[in-house]
Parts: sequence; structure tokens; C-alpha cells
Amino acid sequence: MRDVAILGVGMHPFGAFYSGKTNAEMGLTAGLAALDDAGMSFADMKAAYAGHIFATAMTGVRVMKEFGCTGLPIQRIENASATGSAALREAFLAVSAGHYETAMVLGFDKMTTMIQSGTAGTAPENMEDSILPAGFFAMWATRRMHERGTKAEHLAKIAAKNWNNGAHNPMAQRQAKEKVTPEKVLNSGMVAWPLTKMMSCPIGDGAAAAIIGPVELAKKLHPDRPVVKIAASTLWSEVYERGHLFQGPVVGPARMTVDASNAVYNQAGVGPKDLDLVQVHDAFVIEELEYYELLGICKRGEAEKYIDEGAFEIGGSLPAFSTDGGLIARGHPGGPTGLAQIWETTLQLRGEAGKRQVKRKNGELPRLGLCHMMGGGSVCVIHILERN
Amino acid sequence: MPEQARPRQPIKPGFFTVPDDPNEAPKLLGTRCDACGEYFYPRRAVCAKCLSRKTSAVELEARGTLYSYTFVHMPLFGSTNMEHAEGYGVGQIDLPEGPRVQAPLAGKQAEFKVGQSLRGELDVLRDDGGTDIVIVRFRPVGGA
Repeated sequence: MRDVAILGVGMHPFGAFYSGKTNAEMGLTAGLAALDDAGMSFADMKAAYAGHIFATAMTGVRVMKEFGCTGLPIQRIENASATGSAALREAFLAVSAGHYETAMVLGFDKMTTMIQSGTAGTAPENMEDSILPAGFFAMWATRRMHERGTKAEHLAKIAAKNWNNGAHNPMAQRQAKEKVTPEKVLNSGMVAWPLTKMMSCPIGDGAAAAIIGPVELAKKLHPDRPVVKIAASTLWSEVYERGHLFQGPVVGPARMTVDASNAVYNQAGVGPKDLDLVQVHDAFVIEELEYYELLGICKRGEAEKYIDEGAFEIGGSLPAFSTDGGLIARGHPGGPTGLAQIWETTLQLRGEAGKRQVKRKNGELPRLGLCHMMGGGSVCVIHILERN
Repeated sequence: MPEQARPRQPIKPGFFTVPDDPNEAPKLLGTRCDACGEYFYPRRAVCAKCLSRKTSAVELEARGTLYSYTFVHMPLFGSTNMEHAEGYGVGQIDLPEGPRVQAPLAGKQAEFKVGQSLRGELDVLRDDGGTDIVIVRFRPVGGA
């Protein structure tokens, strides 16, 4: 096992109405940007991992052909929302084991066409699909309100934070023209009580890419740039316990995020208190609230207090969450979403995040960032990136 | 005069019974592990808890307590039933045997609270050439 670095990152902006753009065009934009960021050519890529959910079979291989035909091994990875993160993990395993010197990880999707084709999980013949993801996560919120007295205002504050972070991210799908207030979030129309439209991620299209290779290569390519290392990587499925749901959007008790985060903290030799920034699967805002606690950033039952204090904002007293806007504002096309988190965290650790740059309390650049994704509620992928 | 029973079909076979008597409640088709005794819904061949392959098909009474719920302000999959047009409830119901079931709810939002008792019933989603396509939904015990 050898240390692996993020050599380059690139994105095609996330958005809702790229009707004129194909997956190949968006994927090419993101992949070429990542190659340029790494200072490499496609000829240097020894393997490719394509992550997409909604496109047809072999789309991954066909999109990769846009970069050229070099004979490199190409694998398609799919794990629902965690697709891009899972693709990165497979590339990481292969490169860290020494099977390949470098790998390109490319995620893309057009969720807008998926919705049009009617496979959005609402098909009447699928009884088990009767509850949409918004409904499922709304039930997390209802339960939380029952157990902890959480208010809709707490949820609105998280959403407003993410919208306002997204306004500083040129790749974000939702670009608020003026500062978003919790009141505006609360009055944006109900999707699934108590979740409003502005507390829910949008449907969108986009692409994102990362190039990885040995840490030594990162130093050689950019001697003056901080090296961003993949300090830990894990992927978990669920451990059975009472209350597990075997139908609908399959999301069991939230233990999986606890198991997965313990695994990455052990691998990286760090604890939740050491993190400077965190990206999570905030498809619906109640998720981010739960992950504050499930990732161990604060104790069970403390999230609401810290939300009221603004602790998770950039410059707050705890790790900054969803610094690029999260799924709520940056967007969530599917395949590329997990790689957008890697793009954001890499820029942050290098000090290239512009107006949304996170700083440590002593003014230094952040050192540790965690990226968490859930896939279909049934897998959890977490990476920790470290500047060294 | 008893109501003339229209033919009824489940939206998908293998999840619940559709009794001939329209006044009879549906039963949920579940599984009990012969080795460890854990119950599951829907049916499965292998126990998810102890991995035993010795399991038995069981019919579970459609009743339990409400673990959580929401009201979704989006159309319920292709329903032509006007009652579904203005948002619909969905809930997670803990059966006394253990399984947690997700299902649509019957009633207005104000009628529901976490922890209350619910009972399952068949609900007509739409008419398919003279046959009623039905799903299971849960209603508060003692509700309208």
C-alpha cells in the first residue's frame, strides 16, 4: 500500500437546463479541466473509472473515448448517490495497491432526462417505491422533532447556510442573488412536511473529475503546491438491526454513518475534532443535522444548540459543513456529486476556494477535510483528504 | 343489501392479501426465521439477522404503532383517486412482531402523531377496466 494523492480536479458546472449538452460534452469539460489542473495528458492515465447512474450501458466507455483511444482499462461504477465517491474508492484501491500508477475518475449524469423518462421511482407497478426520497427523509425530521424538539427553524438555518455558501461557488446549480434567510427557506413551499423546496436538493445535470496517483508524483508535478493526500477511504453497507426497512428508499437506522466514520478516523489516525471542513449527503437538510452527530462532530442531542450558534458556518467554532453549497445548493446530478465534494475539498486544502475559503483558527489553511456520501440510503462512502 | 363487490387486484402481488370479503382487513405477507425468531416484511428467503436459510412464510396482521410520518405534496404514483390530489401521508409503522413497514396513510395530517396505533386497510388507487387496483394504507385506530 502506498500513499495516494489527488493530482488534479475539474468540474462542469451543475445546472438544470443543459438540454443541448450531452454527458460526453460535460464529461470532457470536467476531465480536461482535471488533466490541466494536474498538468498531465490523457496519455498519462493508466486506468479510468466512470461513474454514472442514469445513462445507458457502456455510456462510461463511450464518454471516455472523447479523451482519445489509448487502450486503458475503463470500469463503470454505480452506487446511486454515492456513485462518484465509490468510483474514487475503486481507483484509490487500485492505485494504492500499485496496480496502476495513475487513474482518472469521471462522474457525469443528466438527472433531468431521468425524470422525463419516468423511472424516478414513482412507477405505479413498484409498490415498494411508493415513498419518494423526500418523504423518507422527511420522516427522519418528524422523528427528530418528536425525540429532540427540533424546530423547522433549525432546518431552515442549515439550508440558508448552504444556499449562501453556494452563492460563492461558480460550479453551484443554485446561485442566490441575495443573502438567503431562514424565513425565505421556510416559505419556499412544502415538498414533504416539514421539508420545504429550499431544504431539498434540486434535480440537475453536470460532471466532475479527479485524477489520482502516488504522492511522490504530486510533488514532482507541482513542487510549490500543497499535496492533497487521500488519508482514508471506506465503503459500508448496512448491518441488520430492528427497524431496518426492506422496502421503499431503503434507509435503515442511521448506524451506517457511525460505522463508516469510525473506520476512516481509525485509518487516518484522526478524530472528528481534528477536521476543518466536512461535505455530507445533504440531499435533504435533516440529513446534515443528523450527520453532525453521527460523524461525531458533536454529541447526540447537541446539534440544535450549535446550529443556533452558527457553529457549522465557514468561520464558525466547529468544522465548516457543505462549504460549496452542499447537495442543496451546489446540486446533485447523481454520478458526479461525490466528485464535486472532492473538487471542493481539494481546492479548500490548497487554499484556492476564493470567497468561501476555510481557515483554521490560527489563520492557516485547513489540513483535514471529510467527504461523506450515502447511496440509495444503503451504502455509505467516506474519504478523508489531508494536506501535507 | 350488501354492496356488490368489484374485483380487486393488488398493485403488485406478493406483499399483502386481498380478501374476497371487502370488509375484511388485508394481511401483510412476511417471513419468520425458524432459527432466531426474527420477523421480516416483505418476504425473504434468508434471515438478515442470523443468516439462517430456514424461514417460514407468515401472514402478519396489518396493525402497529407510528414510528414516523410525513405528508408529501407531490402526486401519488399515477393515482386518479381525487383524495390523493392534495398531498398524501406516508408513514413508518412498527408491527408488534418487529418489522417496520412503510406505507401511505389514510386521514388528514392533524390526525397523526408519533406513537399512535394504526390499522391497515385496502385503498383503491384506480380503476383498471372494471378491476380495482388496490394498495395497503394505514389509518388511525378509532379514526374516521
